[in-house]
Amino acid sequence: MKPRYVPERQSDFGVPRCSSSFVNHFPHHLIVTFCYGFSALCGLISFFSISITISSPFIFSICITMAVHSSAILLLQLFFYFLVASAASRSNEIAGGVRIWPLPASVTHGGHRRLYVAKDFRLNTQGSNFSDASGILQEGFSRLLDVVHAAHVVDANLTRLGSSALLLGIHIVVSSPSDELQYGVDESYTLSVPAPTPGKPAYAYLQARTVYGALHGLQTFSQLCSFNFESRVIEVRKVPWNIIDQPRFSYRGLLIDTSRHYQPLPVIKKVIDSMAYAKLNVLHWHIVDTQSFPLEIPSFPKLWLGAYSKQERYTIADATEIVRYAQRRGVSVLAEVDVPGHALSWGVGYPALWPSKDCKQPLDVSNEFTFKVIDGILSDFSKIFKYRFVHLGGDEVNTTCWTVTPHIRNWLRKQGMKESDAYKYFVLQAQKIALSHGYELVNWEETFNDFGSELSRKTVVHNWLGTGVAPEVVAAGLRCIVSNQDSWYLDHIDTSWEQFYTNEPLKNITDPQHQKLVIGGEVCMWGENIDGSNIEQTIWPRAAAAAERLWTPYDNLAKDPNQVFARLTHFRCLLNQRGINAAPVSGLGRSAPWGPGSCYVQ
Amino acid sequence: MFKFHIFFALLIPSALALHSPSGSNDSLPYLWPLPSDFTSGNATLSVDPQLSLAVAGNGGNSAIVKAAFDRYRGIIFKHTSGVSIFEQIWGRRRTFVYDISELKIIVHSDSEELQLGVDESYTLFVSKKDAQSIIGEATIEAPTVYGALRGLETFSQLCTFNYETKDVQIYQAPWYIKDSPRFSYRGLLIDTSRHFLPVDVIKHIIESMSYAKLNVLHWHMVDEESFPLEVPSYPNLWKGAYTKHERYTIEDAYDIVTFAKMRGINVMAEVDVPGHAESWGVGYPDLWPSPSCKEPLDVTKNFTFDLISGILTDLRKIFPFELFHLGGDEVNTDCWETVPHVKQWLVDQNMTTKDAYKYFVLRAQELAISKNWTPVNWEETFVNFPEGLNPSTIVHNWLRGGICPKAVAHGFRCIFSDQGVWYLDHLDVPWDRAYRADPLEGVSDFSQQKLIIGGEACMWGETADASNVQQTIWPRAATAAERLWSKNETVSGNITVSVLPRLSYFRCLLNRRGVEAAPVKNFYARRPPTGPGSCYDQ
Repeated sequence: MKPRYVPERQSDFGVPRCSSSFVNHFPHHLIVTFCYGFSALCGLISFFSISITISSPFIFSICITMAVHSSAILLLQLFFYFLVASAASRSNEIAGGVRIWPLPASVTHGGHRRLYVAKDFRLNTQGSNFSDASGILQEGFSRLLDVVHAAHVVDANLTRLGSSALLLGIHIVVSSPSDELQYGVDESYTLSVPAPTPGKPAYAYLQARTVYGALHGLQTFSQLCSFNFESRVIEVRKVPWNIIDQPRFSYRGLLIDTSRHYQPLPVIKKVIDSMAYAKLNVLHWHIVDTQSFPLEIPSFPKLWLGAYSKQERYTIADATEIVRYAQRRGVSVLAEVDVPGHALSWGVGYPALWPSKDCKQPLDVSNEFTFKVIDGILSDFSKIFKYRFVHLGGDEVNTTCWTVTPHIRNWLRKQGMKESDAYKYFVLQAQKIALSHGYELVNWEETFNDFGSELSRKTVVHNWLGTGVAPEVVAAGLRCIVSNQDSWYLDHIDTSWEQFYTNEPLKNITDPQHQKLVIGGEVCMWGENIDGSNIEQTIWPRAAAAAERLWTPYDNLAKDPNQVFARLTHFRCLLNQRGINAAPVSGLGRSAPWGPGSCYVQ
Repeated sequence: MFKFHIFFALLIPSALALHSPSGSNDSLPYLWPLPSDFTSGNATLSVDPQLSLAVAGNGGNSAIVKAAFDRYRGIIFKHTSGVSIFEQIWGRRRTFVYDISELKIIVHSDSEELQLGVDESYTLFVSKKDAQSIIGEATIEAPTVYGALRGLETFSQLCTFNYETKDVQIYQAPWYIKDSPRFSYRGLLIDTSRHFLPVDVIKHIIESMSYAKLNVLHWHMVDEESFPLEVPSYPNLWKGAYTKHERYTIEDAYDIVTFAKMRGINVMAEVDVPGHAESWGVGYPDLWPSPSCKEPLDVTKNFTFDLISGILTDLRKIFPFELFHLGGDEVNTDCWETVPHVKQWLVDQNMTTKDAYKYFVLRAQELAISKNWTPVNWEETFVNFPEGLNPSTIVHNWLRGGICPKAVAHGFRCIFSDQGVWYLDHLDVPWDRAYRADPLEGVSDFSQQKLIIGGEACMWGETADASNVQQTIWPRAATAAERLWSKNETVSGNITVSVLPRLSYFRCLLNRRGVEAAPVKNFYARRPPTGPGSCYDQ
């Protein structure tokens, strides 16, 4: 799962191209003049972006004028025009002008009526079975108020607007009393916002099985809110709304890597915040790797000597805080210890884990101490990481050190093992230890490819290499998480958001019983070139494209990603408003904006 | 449930040395910008997570001090917050008393007025409680609340979380720090016309400025591309915004000014006339010389100046800072020559286009001065008509070096922003080139030096939006911040040895506070780290 080398794009010096922001503000002839001199390629790009972002016929006529001038590329452009125009009309059928990301399973809304969010917008939980003793729901409600107020100062004279147009609060009814967040927790909800009725105070109504469904409902509600610049209030437009929603997959993950670069606590918390906005629900924490071991392990207190520096470490309290913080946002934390291959840093504190001082990876398979340390780590994990699964890695194991180090070579001979047997032995031993601590298992796909039939039946195989393994995994009766690197590796900055959007986890899996074994997917933010300065802009907005693929019912997903460009752009600008550094949508990963312009077209 | 006490027992042998990252010393709590005078010792003090505030002096009860103390407590103790059960058990098992359990802040003046030249000096004293001494623990003393804020920032930088003992410590105590800025104007420009920056992002920038002791946010609000600000007197102006979502209400602007003041930062607004103003005409096309030639603003019409006057009147209610930036740069007067009615007017007035440019700038200056503002103008105005400018004008250098010496020789005040070193959008300026810049270069006369009020790093927004503005600003703006705060001598010697480790440390501190400062050592700004590694090495 190490990323292949991707050269950094020289995006900082991008050449401005004809854009729809110009179209917004410049009169006809200027646009034509501006666009006229550009190459055929630029013409196509500009034409394309105009067509999908601006739907008014007025603008289209401009573009046709432009195309007439560039007679050499006229036919090509018209071809694209019709392609895109027809796509745009389909887009309206699917999203119906709705700006919610990810798109809910079912949405209906009204036309031009609106409600104004009252100054003391209230939470009402009457009739709910959920007591909210720990305040999860109350906190979620407070965060809702924070994010909808983040964009502008609300300074309204609401009395002027009339009481019948007021939305007084949200009534949330949760049927399950439990606040346990576990794999497969019911995340469904229904949300309705009524139309104004004279003389009757209006409340939004949110119903969910669990508090985590309710949190998703609050996220959706926050996206219905917008600031009205004339009346200076938060309003919900196009009432009444009726939304019925639930996720397509129960595992919707994002991987972060704190070994290649340490990520400070506030950075991780902000990543979790942003995950909740996109309804992602699993933070896969790739804690340690070859380069550094930042986490405190009380059972083996020298392990974090493998950290980069004293300051680049996580205490047990930090890890507990991350899990707590995530859980209160409906996000589970999947912890990973990647054995035996990606574990060189372990030996800084315990050199006995290295095959030898000159050959430090994989972990010494012949030493019982190795498995004692793994047992200690997983024992400590089990007190912090309460998610059903633990990730044991198992990828990219180069066994050369085992064959060149004499004492291991002897051990192999004595056991009658080849290196490949030892690799299997190691992985299966680690699985047994994890099972003994009550965990089910996740392993990278090499373990399945090499000895799939011997893996514990409680294994979830984590795909990353290619697209082909998921059908084989589920045919073998094991569960699978999809993360094929050609589409869902965020560190591949040359992978476009369209590729993220169109990557289908159930590709080539038709049997419904098999489909159920694909528990979801995950986008991976490997940390070789990622630190506290650029992690958010590399994750977003492309992770959001995958988040919709994992949340929204298949039939509601756009077949052509261009249909969702405007809605995704809207979500990206929403992330920016909330202080998340999501990069421009057009352009590849974390590219700088190519020139001046509106967030909504870049 | 998780048994914490087991861990404590196991942690005791873990007082183990980690190798420090090359080029930095783990035990040294680096300060940025470097205080002007300080002494330190070799004791290590522990800081109570329940650190309390004691205030004294006429200004001690200021809400600004209280709010700042709460902010810095959150920063200092972020590794120990949120896990109350952990804290409780920890506290119970712990036998010794913390060395620092109270921070005393003495503020002499009860005035909270924040203007250019406000006294930002402070002294900070940190030592173990001592039976002989009546001053113990930690004390900040400052003439104004804003000096106290600077002292709090320094105090927070002395505090380091110790991962073995799980508490916050101050190394190399006792500390005695006596500090004041070299320049009174230490600015950062943001540009909300080329890209709209959401209010939250602007606040985040302001917050990060306070970490580097910068004190002026130069808000280049409008330009050719968009006019995002509401101007109540001329409500069509913000029709020049990119979209209806990308606008600031008057209340938003006021909110930003208030937020900044709480952090000791002034907001200097800019309305750049007559050149960078095309977007104004979206709402009022009369401001364009003609519909096909839209810039500079139409110099012939009284409406143009009425409108500028209206903007200045409205903005005066929001921006209390005495400085107002009128731009005046890059004025291409072609439209004035080619549009018939403007051309005719020039003939009637017997003016060249250059005269008209001067006429425009001076008339705008008069309007600003009449509203009790000190005008700031970009250097072209000084280069083109030094004799005409109002003597109170502050010349803002940008094009090249050597302008400030000329401006102060004419008796004007000057702000240094040489684009070769302090334009943050120039991605090919590495940290050391930015650091070597000196606003006083070429000015030896002491009375002339005093006219250089400071400098400013400029974050022009053509390719910077909410996604990357912070990583383009930091860490290079920090180099300017130290040059503007600390003594000039910090630049002497081999700065790769004497400054770089401290700057790297500050960059990591910014990351730890959630500010997306880019790696220091990359030649090009805002590039990703070149490979895996410690923050302190990159």
